[in-house]
Amino acid sequence: MKAALLVFVYAVAVAWLAPWLLARLTARGISARLGLAAWLTAMASALVSGVVALQFLVRAAITGWPSLAEAVCRSVAGSACAPTVYKSAAFEIALAATALLGTLATAVLAWRYGRSVQRARRDTRAHAEAARMTGRSLPGADPAMVLEAEQPVAYCVPGRPGAIVLSSGALAVLDPAQLTAVLAHEQAHLAGRHHLLTGLTRALSACFPGVPLFARGAGEVARLAEMRADDAAVRRSGRPTLIAALLTMGTGTAVPVTALGAAACAVASRVQRLLDPPGRARLVRYGLALTAVTLLLAVASVMLAGYAGPLASHALGLI
Amino acid sequence: MRGFGDLEQVIMQRVWDHDGPVTVRDLFDELAAERAIAYTTVMTTMDNLHRKGWLSREKEGKAYRYTATSSRAEYSARLMQEALADGGNTEAVLSHFVAQMDGAESEALRAVVDRLADRLAERRQR
Repeated sequence: MKAALLVFVYAVAVAWLAPWLLARLTARGISARLGLAAWLTAMASALVSGVVALQFLVRAAITGWPSLAEAVCRSVAGSACAPTVYKSAAFEIALAATALLGTLATAVLAWRYGRSVQRARRDTRAHAEAARMTGRSLPGADPAMVLEAEQPVAYCVPGRPGAIVLSSGALAVLDPAQLTAVLAHEQAHLAGRHHLLTGLTRALSACFPGVPLFARGAGEVARLAEMRADDAAVRRSGRPTLIAALLTMGTGTAVPVTALGAAACAVASRVQRLLDPPGRARLVRYGLALTAVTLLLAVASVMLAGYAGPLASHALGLI
Repeated sequence: MRGFGDLEQVIMQRVWDHDGPVTVRDLFDELAAERAIAYTTVMTTMDNLHRKGWLSREKEGKAYRYTATSSRAEYSARLMQEALADGGNTEAVLSHFVAQMDGAESEALRAVVDRLADRLAERRQR
């Protein structure tokens, strides 16, 4: 039972403390790739350890209430734990309720998650189809479609085949070099299949709106994915061109918007990052720190999962 | 699959380019002048488009007369609205080149632009 508690405490710690640490390490977008890996590892780690803790509880519960009750009681009160306490009906009912509620909550969350992913996929596919049907293709840039709209807008719709959508307003304000940079940026999203990451983390944050790791992580992952795509565009078109494209598109639009937009991809921080690229020393320092955090989280969750597994079967054997 | 989607796109574009309703025969005649295509292919594609809600049709004599359910401009406007809704009504996963900005953020961006301008001016003075 101690192991289950340990795993649970670990899950809670990762879910509440990791976002604070990772947000600091990834704020400036130094090595966006390692930053992405660190955020995703933390999320996977919290999920895995949460499920392991729950599974431990449920498995022990199924095999017999008395021994589970005794184990919980012992782990809390030690040798002071008397049979009159752990054999009381109230104690057993509370335990049963906890296990049941935990299982129900997990089932509901899994269902909600699946539904949200599925709905996103359906909407995305419909959007891509409509864009391909309605738009005019942009010569020389295969998956790019142009829609008639004054507002400068550029985005990509993932799928097979994916599509890049530009408004005629965007074509009007971008010069040819900037257009190439924008296309390279969106192409990098499609090629890197970034929508899998952002879709996954967005669905997780919808499932766990109260858990900082997921609530904050979705925005951070989206921001880092933007920076990865920026890096690809820099390789293609150079820093100044991309900065110019960002400023052109950024100041060209002034739309009042929902909360998500503001947190998701701060354009200013992307421009700032391009203006002020990190030196080698800082790159190495942040890279090492992020790698260390990622490894630590990965090793800890694997160890806890491995530790809880045998203990659970040991508990089974005792009964 | 890709080729078939392309044909749907070609046919929708043609329907929009016509002012009034069109028959399968009208479009087949147009397309057959440009490429090798079977009448039944055009018919099936238009039937699919009707099933998907892109085209509406009315029987006239033995043939159907097809019309686009919405104009191209209406679809464009709807797509833009969907793209800009950003996690509101639509759950589509779209990656914008720049996210739409609220007041505080465009303020921050403007500050960056100003700083950039200052830096350029300084460099020029040197």
